[in-house]
Amino acid sequence: MSAVSGFGKALVIITGASKGFGRALALSIAPRLAAGSALILAARSDDRLQELRADLSRGESGLTVRCVAADLGCQAGVDRVIDEIRDIHPDIHHLLLFNNAASLGDVSRYCHDFTDVDEVNSYLSLNVSSALCLTAGVLRALPQRTGLTRVIVNVSSLCALQPFPSWVLYCSGKAARDMMFRVLAEEEPDLRVLNYAPGPLDTDMQLQARSSSADDALRNSFSDMHAQGQLLTCEQSINKLIKVLLEDKYTSGAHLDFYDL
Amino acid sequence: MEDEIIPESRDLGRALCIITGASKGFGRTLAFQLSCLLKPRSVLMLVARTAEQLNQLKEDIITLYGGQNQLDVRCVQADLEKKDGVEKTVQAAKETSVSEMDHILLINNAASLGDVSRFAVTFTDPAEVNRYLSLNVSGALSLTAGVLQAFPRSLGLRRSVVNISSLCALKPFPSWVLYCTGKAARDMMFRVLAAEEPDVRVLSYAPGPLDTDMQLQARRSSGDLQLRRSFSSMFSEGQLLSCEESGAKLIKLLLDDDFQSGAHLDFYEL
Repeated sequence: MSAVSGFGKALVIITGASKGFGRALALSIAPRLAAGSALILAARSDDRLQELRADLSRGESGLTVRCVAADLGCQAGVDRVIDEIRDIHPDIHHLLLFNNAASLGDVSRYCHDFTDVDEVNSYLSLNVSSALCLTAGVLRALPQRTGLTRVIVNVSSLCALQPFPSWVLYCSGKAARDMMFRVLAEEEPDLRVLNYAPGPLDTDMQLQARSSSADDALRNSFSDMHAQGQLLTCEQSINKLIKVLLEDKYTSGAHLDFYDL
Repeated sequence: MEDEIIPESRDLGRALCIITGASKGFGRTLAFQLSCLLKPRSVLMLVARTAEQLNQLKEDIITLYGGQNQLDVRCVQADLEKKDGVEKTVQAAKETSVSEMDHILLINNAASLGDVSRFAVTFTDPAEVNRYLSLNVSGALSLTAGVLQAFPRSLGLRRSVVNISSLCALKPFPSWVLYCTGKAARDMMFRVLAAEEPDVRVLSYAPGPLDTDMQLQARRSSGDLQLRRSFSSMFSEGQLLSCEESGAKLIKLLLDDDFQSGAHLDFYEL
């Protein structure tokens, strides 16, 4: 595989890898990794991770795939992912961390319904804190050195920039994440940080969006997109993401949207 | 330009005005500034974690008017990082007699800077980040939700929600990952609220660099050298704003009441 079409010998970490965008990403990235690479798949459900591992090992040789079933909202869960990378072969050229794990939150309710601090906290724990802490832990475990390119991808959304009625948790979480990764990009000039908004994907999350969104206009608009075949496949969106990463010309910390590319 | 018709004395009506983080800094100043714009028999509810400073503030406000302005000042000692703190505050708001109120004004001012002595790569403990977000994001959402639920939309009732924001909601500052993240989350949260509730007046106000304890912390502890120096020189060159100066602009916005709901407005752009 030529250097242009692949990531070389890499350590790739994907959170929320058991389904949707994360799973498709694992399947698209694997063939672009050179022998000796490692792919770490994190998610809460072990069964689906094992299934994905089986699917991956069918094609690839020389790729180490490790599954971590962990709740990234707590220290122990973050530590388990970090533990998996400690004995990774030291001569990798590329670190790619995809902070993909996310939940939509309860979109059937409006802001004025979120009176319970604990509910909001548990949402932010998974969607904001865990992404920061995992990123921090991984960067500390793999410090800067010559010949290593470290790439941190935040799977973002239009919701990081634009308020959607009845989506307060999702919008707040995505806005928080974008800012968090912008700060990281400012602080660590050697890192490559990308906030990628993948567009409206035909996933379980989108199904939840069109069936549960409290806001009528929003729900109808998602239903129309679905009915008119306007949702993107994960593969379509991932192809653009991979192209951006391989070209490596984006400004670190930028928010790039599928539709702007 | 058309001449503006400004009534001789303007006020914020007979209001229930709730200020969080009222014990010091900007919150304390706002409490004084707002107290003279509330009509008789309004309620000024001061919320903070420390009772002592709150009670002192209450006394100071009452002394200021010599009990002449019929303002009911109430102190609520509550930790808005916690569920029971938010519930206690909402409960206290419910206990005010609002049948004749014409304005509910909630100022979400409580905030912490977070540990700015460290960079993003050092934040490996989710419990630490969670605690920060609980006070600075979740607490503000849950309190706002609780207050709006307690005082639902009704004819003749004006409802205003202010988010004390920052330039940090828009611009990343190195070594300020918690603060920037929290402020960005809050701005978005209140934009969603504005989109959802057309009758609620929502404002994210960035007060500028204020000469407060938080600014002291910023120029002493910021991990980023350049940022620390820039805050230090703002201080030594007298470029920090007084809380009074910035508070006055916020109050003018509230009195004029013609801002676009959900907007982020900065002291320097006004």
